[in-house]
Amino acid sequence: MRSYWIRRAIGAAAVLLLVIAANFFLFRIMPGDVVSSIVDPRFSPEAKERMREVFGLDQPLLRQFVIYVRRMLTFDFGISFLSQRPIWDELRSRVPNTIALLGSALLISSALGTWLGVQAARKRGGITEKVVLISGSISFSFPSFFVQLVLLLFLAYTLPVFPLRGSVSIPVPQGAIDRMLDYIWHLLLPAGSLVLLGFGSWAIYVRNLMVKTLGEDFILLARAKGFSESRVLWNHAFRSALPPILTIFLLALPGIVSGAVITETVFSLHGVGKYLLDSIMGHDYPAAGAAFYILGLLTIISNLAADAAYAIADPRIKVGRRAGM
Amino acid sequence: MILKRAVLLFFVLVSILTATASPAFDISAVRGPHIRDLYMVIYRDPDSQIMALQKGELDVLGDITRPSDVERLASNPDISLSISRGFHLFFMGFNLRKAPWNDRILRQAAAMAVPSRQIVRDIFSGYSEPVSTYLPPVSPYHAPDVKTWNHDPEGARELLKDAGWTWSIDGRLVPPGETVPLGSFRLLSPTAQVAPTTAEISERIAAALNGIGVPVTVEPLDFSTMIRRLDMHDFDLFVMAWSLTRDPDSLFAFFHSSMDVTGGYNIQGLHDPDLDRILEELRWAPDHESAKIAAREAQRMLSEISPWIPVYSRYMVAAVRKGWDGVISTERTSSDNMWTLLGMKPSDGRERPVMWCLSEEPRSLNPLGTSSAYDWQVLGLIYDGLIAVDPESLEDIPWLASSWKIETLEEEGVAHTRLTFRLRRDVKWHDGTPFSSRDVRATLEFLRENEIPRYFDNVRDIDSIDTPDDSTVIVTMKNVSFWHFHNIGGSLVLPAHILEGIGNWETWQPAREPHPSVKGLTSLVGTGPFIFKEYRPGEYVHFVRNDGFWLSGGD
Repeated sequence: MRSYWIRRAIGAAAVLLLVIAANFFLFRIMPGDVVSSIVDPRFSPEAKERMREVFGLDQPLLRQFVIYVRRMLTFDFGISFLSQRPIWDELRSRVPNTIALLGSALLISSALGTWLGVQAARKRGGITEKVVLISGSISFSFPSFFVQLVLLLFLAYTLPVFPLRGSVSIPVPQGAIDRMLDYIWHLLLPAGSLVLLGFGSWAIYVRNLMVKTLGEDFILLARAKGFSESRVLWNHAFRSALPPILTIFLLALPGIVSGAVITETVFSLHGVGKYLLDSIMGHDYPAAGAAFYILGLLTIISNLAADAAYAIADPRIKVGRRAGM
Repeated sequence: MILKRAVLLFFVLVSILTATASPAFDISAVRGPHIRDLYMVIYRDPDSQIMALQKGELDVLGDITRPSDVERLASNPDISLSISRGFHLFFMGFNLRKAPWNDRILRQAAAMAVPSRQIVRDIFSGYSEPVSTYLPPVSPYHAPDVKTWNHDPEGARELLKDAGWTWSIDGRLVPPGETVPLGSFRLLSPTAQVAPTTAEISERIAAALNGIGVPVTVEPLDFSTMIRRLDMHDFDLFVMAWSLTRDPDSLFAFFHSSMDVTGGYNIQGLHDPDLDRILEELRWAPDHESAKIAAREAQRMLSEISPWIPVYSRYMVAAVRKGWDGVISTERTSSDNMWTLLGMKPSDGRERPVMWCLSEEPRSLNPLGTSSAYDWQVLGLIYDGLIAVDPESLEDIPWLASSWKIETLEEEGVAHTRLTFRLRRDVKWHDGTPFSSRDVRATLEFLRENEIPRYFDNVRDIDSIDTPDDSTVIVTMKNVSFWHFHNIGGSLVLPAHILEGIGNWETWQPAREPHPSVKGLTSLVGTGPFIFKEYRPGEYVHFVRNDGFWLSGGD
């Protein structure tokens, strides 16, 4: 058991180092840099050269790499080229909004989708299954910007139930409770739109898994033993289908930090997605490198968590035990 | 359908121009600001910006680019639109380093083949201006009388025929004295996903060139890749747009042979000694008159050389909700300007904040480091320069400097420009400290000593700065140029007492640093009409009126 986790930890560290190296070199393979993308006749070639010095881009590549690796390992990500602000500050101001938006959307859409998927599988050919299959397909086939703009038009403009933008009202309400309620009010529409767009894929995935599982012999045996349908469904079938659902859920977790560019743009939310996109497009190596490093780290942690969760979800799986041992 | 659209466009443009053109704008009559609170609210999505304006959540929205939005807003009785000519210039450039584009006649014929007017009508529904010169028509230095290459495909064919070009059986051009027709050329363009209108225009240009026998296909590229290809001179043709300023010395940056270097903007690789001489006269012009003559001559020569095909210049469209008096717009400045903010007051007299749209997040709010236009929308209300620009005539007007003198002196056989600014005595910084020549000197010295890239070209030619008294600044330059006046006079001025405390200008965060002595203020202290109050990332920037502003009063 211990040796398994040691092996996994070493593997994770190796992956992390690869992520660090790839982050550095991939961005530099991209054509141009932050200075060459300045297209402004007020910047003479000499002024651009000076800017390159300011950003340290005139240093030899190896030296830049050493500085970069040291920064990643010490979590001192340095200063963003584009904003000249500490990258930690930039991320800190964005991550809470992104986690609140995408975390709540992931939780609700996965819970709702899972429940609907189980209900659809319970009665094959029934009205629930038809509704789930149709609404699920529609849900994930519509482009997000279209759905979100339509929601914004009807629920924030025509019927002004929700705000058009942002996460706070102007001026900001006084009092902690009012501020919290105001924040939730602002998040309801963007998070709701993501649930609308996301529950379908969960529902169809879980439904398919459950249909397969409910056809297994051990389910027949459980029914033959006279267990209630509910017990068969949840304690036997769902538990057996749980590991892949958990895997997908845990691997989706890093995504709640990476942000949702379109949602953030449509609802003018201050999130990580737009920042990440701007950093890549603007050749902001330190910012993009730090953001991808954190994402890589979270993905690795989520992978390890998924391994551990398997064992909890399904006692037949024991980590570190090889087949036949 | 086309007729219906044309009639609609005509009425929209007429209604915009008649509804919002300010009657006889008199700069000396402006007093303000009158509004107490100003919020620059971040709305990123163009659709939500329009909805917010129509719903009344926004009062001012600038930079409206989609024709459908203009038409929608024009029909809304609660909204006033303003339209002005802008300094934007879109063009197609040739690679003059290689055949056949080093042939002037071919370039002139290509310019005659491109239907700029038709492109503007079809793609922008008329909300842009076709151009055929190298400075946009709004520029005070625009020379409307130089010969240009107007759309005339038949004329283009005639021109080529006269120069000895022939056509192969399949319609491709054959260079004079040769038998092999032209091969295929690639027009570099941003992708349709990133810039749909540019991609469409590129296709139209390629079709026009194919029409006279030049085989051109569009090569859509990611912007960085395109810039890289241009830097490496690995291209035949390219499309690009510049945001110019009122000064024409950018022509030097675009066309002087010394700018055909890495990081330079002579992308097309033009080397013409006669033009170089004129561009040098323009860059180092001792006064406005010489600059005007050189700018005109440069445009004439450029039209003849045809290193680009100028295509269009975008109109600037802005919208303001009705219910506000004092909104200022001119033919050259749309209503989303600082003068509007100075003049704005509610028509019903009931005090309320102005909600101004900011379509992107400010980046650092560091006036020394930022090059973001969104940062400058904020900083422009806090900091001032020594001179300002008249929104109607685009001429220099007194601002922190009440008067100035531009002289060309000769000392020890070397000529140089000397600028003498007389400063206003009634100006105070937001923290109450009197503004003086010491601040101007400290700012210019700080910019020069730290070689700050944004200001590098403005201050590098400073030889000395003298402050004989609190209200006089004399800046002596190392050489002669009329543009030194705009570069020095137009640069922002920072308070000396704040500059003294800046450790590292690159990482300076004045919006987050508390003011060293005044509670409630940050280090973002200027002399401008608005005092910075709060920046809430992702949400808004809040300002309050500067009651000590030197143009205050008049209520």
